[in-house]
Amino acid sequence: MNLEDIIKETKTYYCLECGKCTSLCPVSRYNSNFSPRFMLERALMGFGDELIHDRELFSCLACYACSNLCPSDVDYPVFTQKVRNLASGEGEHGDCAHSGILFSLMRLMSRSDIRQKRLDWLDGCHTSEKSEVLYFAGCAPYFEPVFEDIEVSPVNIARNSIKVLNALGIEPMVLPNERCCGHDLLWTGDVETFKKLAQFNAQMIKESGAKKIVFSCPEGYRTFKIDYPQYVELDCELMHITELLAQNLSSLSFRAKRSNPEVKRVTYHDPCRLGRHLGIYEPPREIIRAIPEIKLTEMEHSGDESICCGTSAWTNCSSYSKQIRVERLHEAKATGAEALVTACPKCQIHFKCAMVDKGTEKCTNIEMKVMDIVTLVADALGDKSSE
Amino acid sequence: MEEVKIGIYVCHCGLNIADIVDVEEVTKYATTLPAVVVSRNYKFMCSDPGQNMIKEDIKELGLNRVVVASCSPLMHEPTFRRTIQEAGVNPYLFEMANIREHCSWITEDHKAATEKAKALVSAAVRRVYYHQPLEIKEVPVNPNTLIIGGGIAGIQAALEIADSEHKVYLVERDPSIGGHMIQFDKTFPTLDCSACILTPKMTSVGMHPYIELMTYSEVEEISGFVGSFKARIRKKARYVDEDKCNGCGVCVTKCPWKANSEFDLGLSERKAIYTPFAQAVPNIPVIDTEHCAYFLKEKCRACEKFCELGAIDFEQVDQIVEVEVGNIIVTTGYDSFDPTPITQYGYGKFDNVYTGLEFERICNAVGPTSGKIVLKDGSEPKSVAILHCVGSRDENYHEYCSRVCCMYALKYSHLIKERTDAEVYQMYIDMRCFGKGYEEFYKRLSEEGVNFIRGKVAEVTDRAINEDEQGKLIVCGEDTLLCKTIRVPVDMVILATALEPRSDAAEVAKLLTITQSADGFFLERHPKLDPVATMTDGVFIAGCCQGPKDIPDAVAQASAAATRVLALISKGRVELEAATAVIDEEKCSGCRICNLLCPYSAISFIEDEKVSRINEALCKGCGTCVAACPSAAITHRQFTMEEITAEIEGVLV
Repeated sequence: MNLEDIIKETKTYYCLECGKCTSLCPVSRYNSNFSPRFMLERALMGFGDELIHDRELFSCLACYACSNLCPSDVDYPVFTQKVRNLASGEGEHGDCAHSGILFSLMRLMSRSDIRQKRLDWLDGCHTSEKSEVLYFAGCAPYFEPVFEDIEVSPVNIARNSIKVLNALGIEPMVLPNERCCGHDLLWTGDVETFKKLAQFNAQMIKESGAKKIVFSCPEGYRTFKIDYPQYVELDCELMHITELLAQNLSSLSFRAKRSNPEVKRVTYHDPCRLGRHLGIYEPPREIIRAIPEIKLTEMEHSGDESICCGTSAWTNCSSYSKQIRVERLHEAKATGAEALVTACPKCQIHFKCAMVDKGTEKCTNIEMKVMDIVTLVADALGDKSSE
Repeated sequence: MEEVKIGIYVCHCGLNIADIVDVEEVTKYATTLPAVVVSRNYKFMCSDPGQNMIKEDIKELGLNRVVVASCSPLMHEPTFRRTIQEAGVNPYLFEMANIREHCSWITEDHKAATEKAKALVSAAVRRVYYHQPLEIKEVPVNPNTLIIGGGIAGIQAALEIADSEHKVYLVERDPSIGGHMIQFDKTFPTLDCSACILTPKMTSVGMHPYIELMTYSEVEEISGFVGSFKARIRKKARYVDEDKCNGCGVCVTKCPWKANSEFDLGLSERKAIYTPFAQAVPNIPVIDTEHCAYFLKEKCRACEKFCELGAIDFEQVDQIVEVEVGNIIVTTGYDSFDPTPITQYGYGKFDNVYTGLEFERICNAVGPTSGKIVLKDGSEPKSVAILHCVGSRDENYHEYCSRVCCMYALKYSHLIKERTDAEVYQMYIDMRCFGKGYEEFYKRLSEEGVNFIRGKVAEVTDRAINEDEQGKLIVCGEDTLLCKTIRVPVDMVILATALEPRSDAAEVAKLLTITQSADGFFLERHPKLDPVATMTDGVFIAGCCQGPKDIPDAVAQASAAATRVLALISKGRVELEAATAVIDEEKCSGCRICNLLCPYSAISFIEDEKVSRINEALCKGCGTCVAACPSAAITHRQFTMEEITAEIEGVLV
């Protein structure tokens, strides 16, 4: 795909150059070198080369704040995704966070001959060898050691997900050799490796006989739902765990005494992939409202106006992304909530990281409890091992 | 039947067709088709020499069927029908093959286009073979006209027709005529006072001997066809006797009950018995039963007590009036876009965020603030931002440009500058100042020191991040010319809201059997060459119901619609479509499926005979009933089974 095709596919031709995208962009708010409008304009006016070699190309969070309200319906995130693919062909890449270890893991998983040991966390969970429902655990087992120091436990989210599925009477399959969904590779321009991962996953899922896949990670969900159909065939019903839970709230019996009684008021942070990418705003809120003695208070920006957690695809994490996180945490604190609930392990990692590594900008008073929605549910269902 | 002799004429349409389609080859091919006597091609078949060629061949060769392979029949079918009629052949013994829109304009492949042109010509020839002469009937035109909507367009059209001493029924839903224009303060770019130029026309309407004004009334049903429509109109009960009331206003003064004023968009209050504004025509109040204490609790009756003329009539009921007219002009206007869904702009959340129309009322001397431009707290704003394209040029709301917002935004800037010391910021995408004197007005405002910032606003917030922003509304956007995101703290925000189709436009369209374009406005017969007619003969459109436009354009269109009506009245008769459907009553089972499907309500069921019958005057020949009839009892006079089969065969051979 060349730049011309990308312009066509993303409706960039219709850009009015009104600048609404740039003024809505959380990155542009702090990083004056980054402007979605200017990126598009360069593509339209024949400065494609300059665009491809601009390091800010990798600063977009693909949060969809821009396209969500674009008067011309230009798909800027997909424009970015495709241009990054061109850029990576010319040797350009963003700045990797965490010494690139996460990307190394993703690429390792694209090899056919690896044998992973990724199911050690399953104790206390009921799974089955053969089931119509598959739980896609995603990269949680790999995140676990990397983010130990900031006290985030992604496998805990995975474990709690299976526990709440168990509470609904579902004993899902979990694939022992599941691969990374490829989200971060696709969004940093490595389409080739992404395709390999997609093919491995599709093949394994087909063989497993699963009819329905449940995700707790919105990135995996988005990737399977929107991106995979362009590369692989997969005939399964796809669901985020919050959708499944919201549909079956009446089958869950919450106990009066939760294991986190100090959390009485929470605020919900919409992950971009779940919210603006897939339009899922209500199910998580329905779930929170159903939990006894929990009050949900909305932040100044919520729903489709929600602000991104500040980093995406482990790329171009910077002082600007830190500022975005701090701003979001200030909004969360302003609600008076005791906990910030989200539905994405990465959002949780990014917020916790901001609290630990404070950076330089106005980082005072941002500490608060951050938890995943499935953990909140599991706590209310009353399993002691959930924390 | 006499021997069929067909003539084929292939048009080059300059290079429009000839550039892609090999017209020589098509011409040659046509000679091989059955019953074809002559086949020719010419640069412009619609020109006089082109038409004369056909006429001469009819005379010389005795042609009795003609096929022209050229453009869409929408354009020139009437032309060529007239041509052959002038040469003595029934105009319905004609067929057109569209080799422009359907061939040359859609491909660059010469071979494919030529092949398709040949197939279409072959189909047309085989089809025209079976055409039968049809008789064109004429009906008289009732000289009365119905105009629906009493805004500036309806007023203009009514006066134009009534001044020629033909009767007009002007129906207006609200208690007074005047429409949106009477709500405006000044008009761009001349800054004439809107009321000053409109009220003389309104008064003329009220007093005109040839205009029967029906305000507070709605058209409920239309039947009939061009030349003789019947309209059923509901005159809603005003609870005030129009014959007795002299408009003194005592009832209004004495009424103790209040409600939000619709005319001031809820920015002020009116009484439960009210005239919407001082210069209302007619100057007769109405009682709002939802707020009147008598209707709510059966007490009060203050108005009745003080009315010396005994004009208050609580027993009044809605009246149904039936009128007969020859033509109808629709001038139902527009709705102002409600910006509430654009939550980022804070309309309804922040006190000092107004829509364009609300600001018109604020500027107006008889408006809620007596023309003072002030904030909710009564103080004068020190800065005002005007946000362009709110609901317009936006895929999320309306794709189209509302055409007038740039200009009314400029007008507001001028009024703010004139009446306050405020800084004015215009946040625009493109300034579209297209009309006479408009660009000059833009220049004038630049000289007056208005700040023009190129960029669409993303958000209006009250969350201050520094001292200067405290207590202000902060307008966030990008100055795209400076490539900088900006935050402009202001006291007042005006949203230049879009013009959109009336919320009940679809129902009105159905009532009149006219159509809406994709944007929801009423569709004209041709966007350039027939802008005030509709696909329904005798129904015309003018003003903003056809699309957003400014006052001069609305007036021009209204005059044009009036002219079209006057032409029909002056001729006194109208030809009816002859290519209609007909029911074979022997075969009709009386199932009535066709009755329900007919979009023109042309088919009725004859109870005595248990069959359905088509009113030929109403039938437009659309063919819906033909396709639907389970007994195959309905035939279209120019789409018989024979003709359709022959046409398909023509395409396939």
